[in-house]
Amino acid sequence: MKKLLALIMVSMLLLTACSSGASNSTEPEGGSDSNQITIWAWDPKFNIKAIELAKEAYASENPDLKVNVIENAQDDIVQKLNTSLSSGTTKGLPNIVLIEDYRAKSFLQAYPDMFQPLTGSFETEDFVQYKVEATSVDGENYGLPFDTGVTGLYVRTDYLTEAGFSIEDLQNIDWKEYIEIGKKVKEATGKRLLTIDPNELGILRTMIQSAGKWYVKEDGTTPDLANNEALKLSFEIYKELVDNDLMNFHSDWNQFLATFNGGEVATVTTGNWITPSIKAEASQSGKWAVVPHPSLPGMKSVNASNLGGASWYILDVPGKENAVDFLTKTFGSNVDLYQKLVTEIGVIGTYIPATEGEAYKTEDEFFGGQSIISDFSKWAEEIPQVNYGMHTYAIEDILIVAMQNYLGGQDLDKVLEDAQQQAETQIK
Amino acid sequence: MHKIKQIFIYILLSIFTVISIFPFIWMIISATNKSIDVTKGRLLPGTHLVENIQNLLSTVDLVPALINSATISIATTILSLIIASLAGYGFEIYRSKAKDVVFNILLLSMMIPFAALMIPLFRMFGTISQIAPGIGIDTLTSAMLPSITTAFLIFFFRQNTKMFPRELLEAGRIDGLTELGVFFRIYVPTMKTTYAAAAIITFMASWNNYLWPLVVLQSPENHTIPLLISNLGSSNSPDFGIIMTSIVIATLPTALIFFLLQRHFVAGMMGSVK
Repeated sequence: MKKLLALIMVSMLLLTACSSGASNSTEPEGGSDSNQITIWAWDPKFNIKAIELAKEAYASENPDLKVNVIENAQDDIVQKLNTSLSSGTTKGLPNIVLIEDYRAKSFLQAYPDMFQPLTGSFETEDFVQYKVEATSVDGENYGLPFDTGVTGLYVRTDYLTEAGFSIEDLQNIDWKEYIEIGKKVKEATGKRLLTIDPNELGILRTMIQSAGKWYVKEDGTTPDLANNEALKLSFEIYKELVDNDLMNFHSDWNQFLATFNGGEVATVTTGNWITPSIKAEASQSGKWAVVPHPSLPGMKSVNASNLGGASWYILDVPGKENAVDFLTKTFGSNVDLYQKLVTEIGVIGTYIPATEGEAYKTEDEFFGGQSIISDFSKWAEEIPQVNYGMHTYAIEDILIVAMQNYLGGQDLDKVLEDAQQQAETQIK
Repeated sequence: MHKIKQIFIYILLSIFTVISIFPFIWMIISATNKSIDVTKGRLLPGTHLVENIQNLLSTVDLVPALINSATISIATTILSLIIASLAGYGFEIYRSKAKDVVFNILLLSMMIPFAALMIPLFRMFGTISQIAPGIGIDTLTSAMLPSITTAFLIFFFRQNTKMFPRELLEAGRIDGLTELGVFFRIYVPTMKTTYAAAAIITFMASWNNYLWPLVVLQSPENHTIPLLISNLGSSNSPDFGIIMTSIVIATLPTALIFFLLQRHFVAGMMGSVK
């Protein structure tokens, strides 16, 4: 009997100990307190650092507002938001949350009443247009644009020289020209052209967006696969890269980094956020340059595209006025903040007035003295705007299989036709 | 012939051992290397363990997360063992047709995946938060309540109780013990190994639990170890040396408990009473 009592006592003690401890800690959280806001974001070296800088900038003029920044992995944020929003419980939700552009509309359209509209709170003309489109639904703006995933073609200048090319030969080329250069580089150096994760078709996304197309039509819901000329051409280019053995395959992020850090590939085609990872291998300093992203040949396509990028959204919970004020006075208008973002973190924003600042023009020795930030910002303004819609990742899962079928020898039109049907049944 | 067969078996088993142990070895080796060496797949132990630990401690609040995880896991384990053993004992010893039906319904609940329960459960805790914030969303209690016992654990105790000799029970009753007395004085000591096995299973499940703590614990002060590790990997340029170090640290308690209770665990899985 004594044992039972003792056990019950211990468990009661534990329960009360943690519940009292926890209830204390919940108080500063949640939007109920009028003088503080909570922000969720991922990536401590990038987004979290950015919000900390914004916090500093805001505090110098508005010292009264307490800003709590909570770090969560991106998938975790998606999971938490989905659970909270679909159960209709706002308890514990933050005031501001960072959402990836490809996913934003699935939240905005599924839970329109949970987000605070921002139309009129900031000057949308001051931001890169593709980004404004990505954060709006039905003409109403819900998000404050943050970083751009503007893509570039990172190239190893030493490999190019070895194959008889100069940087000028790679300016504003299309994918066909890129492949031709790749063949020669491989002949001369034995290095493949680029590296790809076959389970992720980011490269396809960058190709079709450069032609102003997406997996869905402009309404954001109708799958646009079977008669999408840009997508068809992208599939063909992908296959050509594979058939000519120009493509190296990696299976995860580690291998991706290891491939270019180890000098295994001649180019890296991805978003500008890869810059810190490229620079991580200090011994390759001076051997890299960034040129404009290849365009799709034979159609209306530009030498600029996007991969990734996220924006800030405000949830309709108490404290939203403070949250709007915080965002608009920092990321919405503060040119100096954007200079700091560039110099201290390497975040390239989408706020056009900021590109005039000094930090954007800095020359980077690692890239042979090139002003890469300024180049990226210039390209960012050229990115065609598309409606990312609600189903980017769902459709991509279908396309990953379709790509394997196509590489396996099936007819391209049939492959895309099947993918179209599958997408239509899956997306109601 | 016999010898050749044995050699063959040993070779086969060695291969399987290497395959199953390799990830652990690689994890420990990686904890001593720099991030860039980890990405390059370096298989030799490095000299950066101390540096990784220092970086880890300076980037995240490791100790509070360890305390949170320990609090949740220990409390869950103790409560689970009490509730599940009482229930399993009851279902088996005081058996009746009606109770069997209840037990079967309980077993059916094992078929429902947690992901399907999560949203209603979250809603429930949302309501609880308004009445009793102390056990509502974003408290350690809310992270442990849904798992303070599981249908599996009740089933596990009931199966093991089947082997518990009724004679002991009768003897206790004749000697004047109350029903609770029989349970605590005779059943619990006899079933020690079953408890040990159940404790390991529950502790490990609770220590590694990810999904529910993830959705219910919002403040960083309440984060548990798996959430902390998940955050470490959230960067576009993660430091794999630090991540591996934190995983080693997170694995230590469960490994320790397993090795301490290993003898009992194996016996418990075979059945307490011989």
